[in-house]
Amino acid sequence: MRLKNTLSNSVLPVVGLLIGFAVWETIGRLDLSPAFPPLTDVLATSVEVWTSERFLTNLQDSLGSVAIALPPTILVGVLVGILVGRYRIAEWALDVYINTFLSIPVVALIPILVLIFGLGRGSILATIFIYTFFVVVVNTSSGVKTTDPNLVEMAKSYLGTERRIVRRIVLPAALPLTLAGVRIATGRAIKGVIIAEQVIGLIGLGGMIQRLGGAFRVEELYATILAIGFLGLISMELVRWGERLAMPWMRDRVNGASAGPAENAA
Amino acid sequence: MIEIKEISRTFQTREGEFEALSDVSFEVRDNEFFSILGPSGCGKTTLLKIVAGLVKPTNGAILVDGSAISGPGEDRAMVFQQFVLLPWADVLTNAGFGLEMRGAPRKESRERARPFLDQVGLSRFVNHYPHELSGGMQQRVGLARALAVNPDILLMDEPFGALDAQTRQLMQEDLTDLWDKEKKTVIFVTHSMDEAAYLSDRVLVMDTHPGRVKELIDIPLERPRKPSVRSSPVFTELTTRMWQLLRGMIGVPDELAPE
Repeated sequence: MRLKNTLSNSVLPVVGLLIGFAVWETIGRLDLSPAFPPLTDVLATSVEVWTSERFLTNLQDSLGSVAIALPPTILVGVLVGILVGRYRIAEWALDVYINTFLSIPVVALIPILVLIFGLGRGSILATIFIYTFFVVVVNTSSGVKTTDPNLVEMAKSYLGTERRIVRRIVLPAALPLTLAGVRIATGRAIKGVIIAEQVIGLIGLGGMIQRLGGAFRVEELYATILAIGFLGLISMELVRWGERLAMPWMRDRVNGASAGPAENAA
Repeated sequence: MIEIKEISRTFQTREGEFEALSDVSFEVRDNEFFSILGPSGCGKTTLLKIVAGLVKPTNGAILVDGSAISGPGEDRAMVFQQFVLLPWADVLTNAGFGLEMRGAPRKESRERARPFLDQVGLSRFVNHYPHELSGGMQQRVGLARALAVNPDILLMDEPFGALDAQTRQLMQEDLTDLWDKEKKTVIFVTHSMDEAAYLSDRVLVMDTHPGRVKELIDIPLERPRKPSVRSSPVFTELTTRMWQLLRGMIGVPDELAPE
């Protein structure tokens, strides 16, 4: 049983990848379309691309935009999310905006952002903001709403003030969903920066993709796309690691709440 | 002394007004172990929450030592049926949480809670999380949290209602021992006749629909109470009396009565 689990957990994904690689390589070798170069060619090019100065500068550009835009967006998003989740008035006032911005395709807003911030980093940062802010708000406010009302009542019975209740009960209760929001936002920030760079700035990895695509340098294009994929994977893992660090009580909770020592303390 | 004066409480529901409590009046003496016994839906928990200051009565007033209460106060602390512990905090933080909510810094609250965890027998579990504890142990944390704020009045809302029978009996024995050492005023809500008789000085039996006072029963069993008292004739007499009062409310035929 255990062996079977180990097999399916660690071996099967590798097998899946290998099959994928084989299919890619075969299609590439068949020379069906210039859009599918053989995997081995792509990998060979990747090593070159990833160590090139141009790539590293662009990577720095893109990551820099995310690093500047994302943390303050998360901070403000969490604060607004708490307001919306806990106070009716805030929910009534903001709900319609949040839902609207969540459903508008961000690309449609980029021309307006360019009118406001110009063709440069300002517009890219604003795109990342719009792409991530509302996800954080919605997740945080949902998290706030999962707060056990019994805990709040208990705190009130012990004379807890609203401030203390929010800090010690609402925030920790909202943490799992808030951090899930942060994880989604991190992924979206990477998407957002690439899209913005492609459309607005022609800088960073997005700009690189745009130029490589235009020049039909397909191997290099794939190398860049692969890099972005890895970037997404790494940042997700980082956020996940942060989640485990922030919520030690969730760590060993696999078997539910009932597992525990027997009643023999008396 | 706690005076419960002509308390009524109605709730608005979709079907109209629902009267949960109607003109409830009684007094609880200082250092008395006072139980409120009644079937589900008699408003006993609502009544306790009114005394706690968590629910406002539609009519009437609660006077503690002569002055009317308007909300939760430093003189009262509550123990909840579902324990209501912070799942993300360890036992020590949970036991100190009442102090923390009253404004003490977290570190200090934790330290001040320690002796109360000793009292309830949990000194070895201070760094455990609630989900690592059994129900009985979780409620011990809830009790330590209440004791830690040193209240004059302990309000207990079916505190052992969520526990299995054996644990429940053990908790009752420990609670009565604890109470013998420091006689706080306790208002204890329960639907268990045995529990009410074993723990209390007096038992208020409540009627349902709407919730109101049915009868006050004195429990003349000597203290300190030993577990063996449960099999004494007086004990049986008392629980039989309670059953006679309750039986009519839940509409159960005679044959189903306990011996």
